[in-house]
Amino acid sequence: MIISLTDVNKTYPGAVPLHVLKGINLEIDRGELVSIMGASGSGKSTLLNILGILDNYDTGDYYLDGVLIKNLSENRAAELRNRMIGFVFQSFNLISYKDAVENVALPLFYQGVPRRKRNAMAMEQLERMGLADRAHHLPGELSGGQKQRVAIARSLITNPSIILADEPTGALDSKTSKDVMQVFRELNNDGMTIVIVTHDPNVGAATNRIIRIADGIIQPTV
Amino acid sequence: MFDLIREIAQTLRNNKLRTFLTGFAVAWGIFMLIILLGMARGVTNSFQANRSGESASSLSVNSGYTRKAYRGLQEGRRIQPDINDIRSIPDALPEYVKKATAYKFLSATNLSTSRDYVNARLEGVYPEEQKVDDVKINYGRFINAADLREERKVVVINEENAEVLFGDASKAVGQRVDAYGLSWLVVGVYSHRWERAVYIPFNTAMRLSDDNLKLGNIRVQLNEISTEEEAEEAEQAVRAQLAQNHTFDPSDKSAMYIYNRFKSYLRESSAFNILNSAIWIIGIFTLLSGIVGVSNIMFVSVRERTHEIGIRRAIGAKPRSVLTQIVTESVAITTLFGYIGIVLGMMIMQTVNTFVPENDVIKNPTISLSIAIEVTILLIIAGALAGLFPAIKATKVKPVEALRDE
Repeated sequence: MIISLTDVNKTYPGAVPLHVLKGINLEIDRGELVSIMGASGSGKSTLLNILGILDNYDTGDYYLDGVLIKNLSENRAAELRNRMIGFVFQSFNLISYKDAVENVALPLFYQGVPRRKRNAMAMEQLERMGLADRAHHLPGELSGGQKQRVAIARSLITNPSIILADEPTGALDSKTSKDVMQVFRELNNDGMTIVIVTHDPNVGAATNRIIRIADGIIQPTV
Repeated sequence: MFDLIREIAQTLRNNKLRTFLTGFAVAWGIFMLIILLGMARGVTNSFQANRSGESASSLSVNSGYTRKAYRGLQEGRRIQPDINDIRSIPDALPEYVKKATAYKFLSATNLSTSRDYVNARLEGVYPEEQKVDDVKINYGRFINAADLREERKVVVINEENAEVLFGDASKAVGQRVDAYGLSWLVVGVYSHRWERAVYIPFNTAMRLSDDNLKLGNIRVQLNEISTEEEAEEAEQAVRAQLAQNHTFDPSDKSAMYIYNRFKSYLRESSAFNILNSAIWIIGIFTLLSGIVGVSNIMFVSVRERTHEIGIRRAIGAKPRSVLTQIVTESVAITTLFGYIGIVLGMMIMQTVNTFVPENDVIKNPTISLSIAIEVTILLIIAGALAGLFPAIKATKVKPVEALRDE
């Protein structure tokens, strides 16, 4: 069991407190390729933030690869994000003034890996993504599909427990979307656990299991 | 560390214009600080150079007229220091006085050699006169204590006179010259901006001066003193001794004028200290506006880079590494451009020093290494402070920012 959520609740405080997650129970096994689907406002993004240790939750328990993720300090959270989670974002989130290799190597910078070594490791990941010839291009000089593959290379470099992808095809055309989903399938075949948050049915269909969330509650599988 | 520098260099290169404009404010502030400090230093140096000869702790005794009748003697008598004072003051007041010296001019006379002659005034001096007159010895030596003790007939002459008398100034030492019907040995050749006197031992001059033992002025060197009270006390003691020697009322200040160098030295030093502090204050405030500029720009930079910082946080940057990066960036900008300011300022001052002829107002306005180091430390601290608040703001950026669309 790589991800295990038990009765996770989250309320955003305010004049009218917003109860977003209403007792989420969720289990994902190692090596699964899962999509989390839901309409906007369903609590999908909040769930993603909690899974990605980007945000806290109020009650319940969240175990990631056997580690209880609860009330962590900023430093500990950063460390766990760095080592256990590979992020792939809708808008790629590459740093514009760094070339592909530097972007891919950046997570290792925060682990204190020497430059030469981390660039060599980044090169390996780029080769795996078939982008070795684009290694010294800035993000602005790459196509959307290439950018997303650079971002996937970055998410893989720390050898994380899971890949967490937030609408990874949202900014791509359908042809490129298929290519990117193919990349995810191949990674999954190699044993990587991948969780994709999306509202695109095609993307959901390309995964092995679909988890539907509506109104802060996981819907029973039909 | 090297990685961090590389990271910062990349960010700064990425924002060339912004980096330059920020840096310019700092460079300008430092440049002004260096110029101001250099000017202050030049003025101080000039002041000290003009005083170099006179020991700060000394009294100058000059002749005067009595204003009070004393022991049946009328007022209005002229009182002049004489040879007796030079001996009796140090003997009677060893706790205050180190030594008393004077000079004695003889009437102008011809100095001649077989080659030529010059007309010059002979001045009987103590060895201390070399410092007082700021005389630079080119060949040989100045008048020394043995010359005085043995009343030697030796002279120290000006370089121009030496050339006239001997053809070549470097050959003058060891040769003889005639004056007052006596034969004198040249022991030294000096150069000076305007002084042309021929120096002879004081005691020899007194021997030659037709029993006129009066002196225009005597200089009393005091033992180490550090406060105005001590200076005043020594002055009173010397005045009392003079009053006894010349029979006048010790409270009669116009009988002999005593100029207390130390008191004016204290006044002048405090004036220069005030000048120096004022310059530092002005300079630092000029610099401050540069620093506020840096801080401001760092705030803008943090704001612009919120998304980027969010990405970095999401992929594992700890708040501490974000803080370090922003502060180091600020220190890098301030130090780099501050250094440009220092170097430009020092170059200007060096140029002033080289091309502006030596004058009495500014002398050697260059900045010493220690000031350059102080300014550098100041820069690093200022840069760190300028970056600190924007950096703290940057650490408040949540990693969730990475998910927000640009």
